[in-house]
Amino acid sequence: MLPAFSDADILEWLEAAAPEDFDHLAFGVIGLAADFHVVAYSKAEAAVSGLTPARVIGRHFFASVAPCTNNYMVAQRFELEPELDVVIDYVFTLRMAPTPVRLRLLKRPTARHMYLLVEPRPT
Amino acid sequence: MTPAVEPNALEAMTEFLYLAPVGLMTFALDGRIRLANPLVAQLLIPLAPGGDLSDAYTALAPLVPDLARRVRGFAATSGIIIDHERCPIAMGARQAVLSVTVHRIHGGMNLGMLEDVSRQVEQDRQLFEDRQRFQAIFDNVRDYAIFTVDPQGKIDEWNQTLLRFGGWRAEDVLGRTLDIFLPAEVRGTAAPDTLLANARQAGSVEIEGWRIRRDGSRLWTNTVVTALPDVSGAVRGFVVVSRDMTQRKRIEDELRRLATTDPLTGAFNRRHGQTLLADTFGDDGDRRRQPGLLMLDIDHFKAINDRHGHETGDTALRAAVEACRAVLGDAGSVVRWGGEEFLIILPDATEAAATAERLRAAVGDLRIAAGEDSIGITVSIGVAADHGDGPHGVVRRADAALYSAKRGGRNRVVIAPDVTAVV
Repeated sequence: MLPAFSDADILEWLEAAAPEDFDHLAFGVIGLAADFHVVAYSKAEAAVSGLTPARVIGRHFFASVAPCTNNYMVAQRFELEPELDVVIDYVFTLRMAPTPVRLRLLKRPTARHMYLLVEPRPT
Repeated sequence: MTPAVEPNALEAMTEFLYLAPVGLMTFALDGRIRLANPLVAQLLIPLAPGGDLSDAYTALAPLVPDLARRVRGFAATSGIIIDHERCPIAMGARQAVLSVTVHRIHGGMNLGMLEDVSRQVEQDRQLFEDRQRFQAIFDNVRDYAIFTVDPQGKIDEWNQTLLRFGGWRAEDVLGRTLDIFLPAEVRGTAAPDTLLANARQAGSVEIEGWRIRRDGSRLWTNTVVTALPDVSGAVRGFVVVSRDMTQRKRIEDELRRLATTDPLTGAFNRRHGQTLLADTFGDDGDRRRQPGLLMLDIDHFKAINDRHGHETGDTALRAAVEACRAVLGDAGSVVRWGGEEFLIILPDATEAAATAERLRAAVGDLRIAAGEDSIGITVSIGVAADHGDGPHGVVRRADAALYSAKRGGRNRVVIAPDVTAVV
């Protein structure tokens, strides 16, 4: 049973799952290492962004993959807060088209990785 | 035949726009945003969280509130509508400045560019404040001239300080060397070149000396020359800071005068006299010539004071010293040794006896005002020459000779016995 975007236990599922499993989710998943380099980039996310996982894995997400998130609303929260589980309204510019999205920011000191979950947002 | 679009090429172009460090967007006349790259979202979402970036006028309103009016009012088919306008804005806790540019590109389509210029604005502000600070210094500094010379030593900058300092205008100094500030008799020497060479080597040098103003008048200056390095460390010029110390020099000279002279008569005081005696008759004295010493005492001085008053006594002392100086010129120093006792230090004792006699006669000719009368005064003089036994020796012998003069009837010169061989 695949988890939903708002599931309370999603972090455990993400940590236990294999990266290929992310591709079955109904929303986009980006996994980050402690240094904010991309360790996982789901197919759904790749499809909307126009970037293949091979191109982005290993890169600094905020500086070199999705600069739209490189501000106090997203990047700095990952940098400064020890623990995160918040949902915020945002806009991605996927293929230069402003796309309203909902972002879930996930970070826990005991987890191996940090995660951004992305789903479309109706306006 | 349309060229096939390589998937990789498209991905590369997409990434190219994703990573552009400026926000780029296109929007229609009605405000609808067609394309926007990630930097647009990075900069604008924090200004209106929860917004959707669908309308340019709404999204840019925190920066340019009248954007709609200006874009719609721009009639030409292409051109610059807004040109790098700097808009201060709060981004979370940070005060930022964003630069906004809008071009009409064709039809009703518009291109917007956004850039975070906070850092450049801060640098500009720092530069501005630095410049203001220097301007305040230049405008308010009174006693300094501050300017620069190029590596060849030619003055390449003029400012108010030079005008205030010496009346120098720009046309007087630009392209000229430091020579122009030197008094005529020193000009033409290598002094400025040496100064710059020393500054080049040591980083900075300090020198004091006479300089002239534009009108030729002199001032005593303290000048510091500092080498200015460029980014590679080579000397790209020098800063010259010159301070008018004339007043201080005057005060120093005056202090020296006050410390060494007797206020009443202007003769050297006893303390300075001791220094002069040591210099002349001491071990390090000039032995090329044999120096001599006259000890001079005004006759019956106590009686003059008692009968005619201390004012008359003072007048007598002053007149006696003046008369001695007039006779001596540069040939000797007059020291007030005691109340009415004077030493005359002669670097050359050759004419000591004759000089003593001239002094005796000159003082004897004086008329001193005493109330409504005038009186005459006389002096007794003892003459002694240096015998290599130091200041104490010669003073002792001169004193003995003076005593003989007093005992012998006053108003006379007595030469110490062992002087006759020399004189």
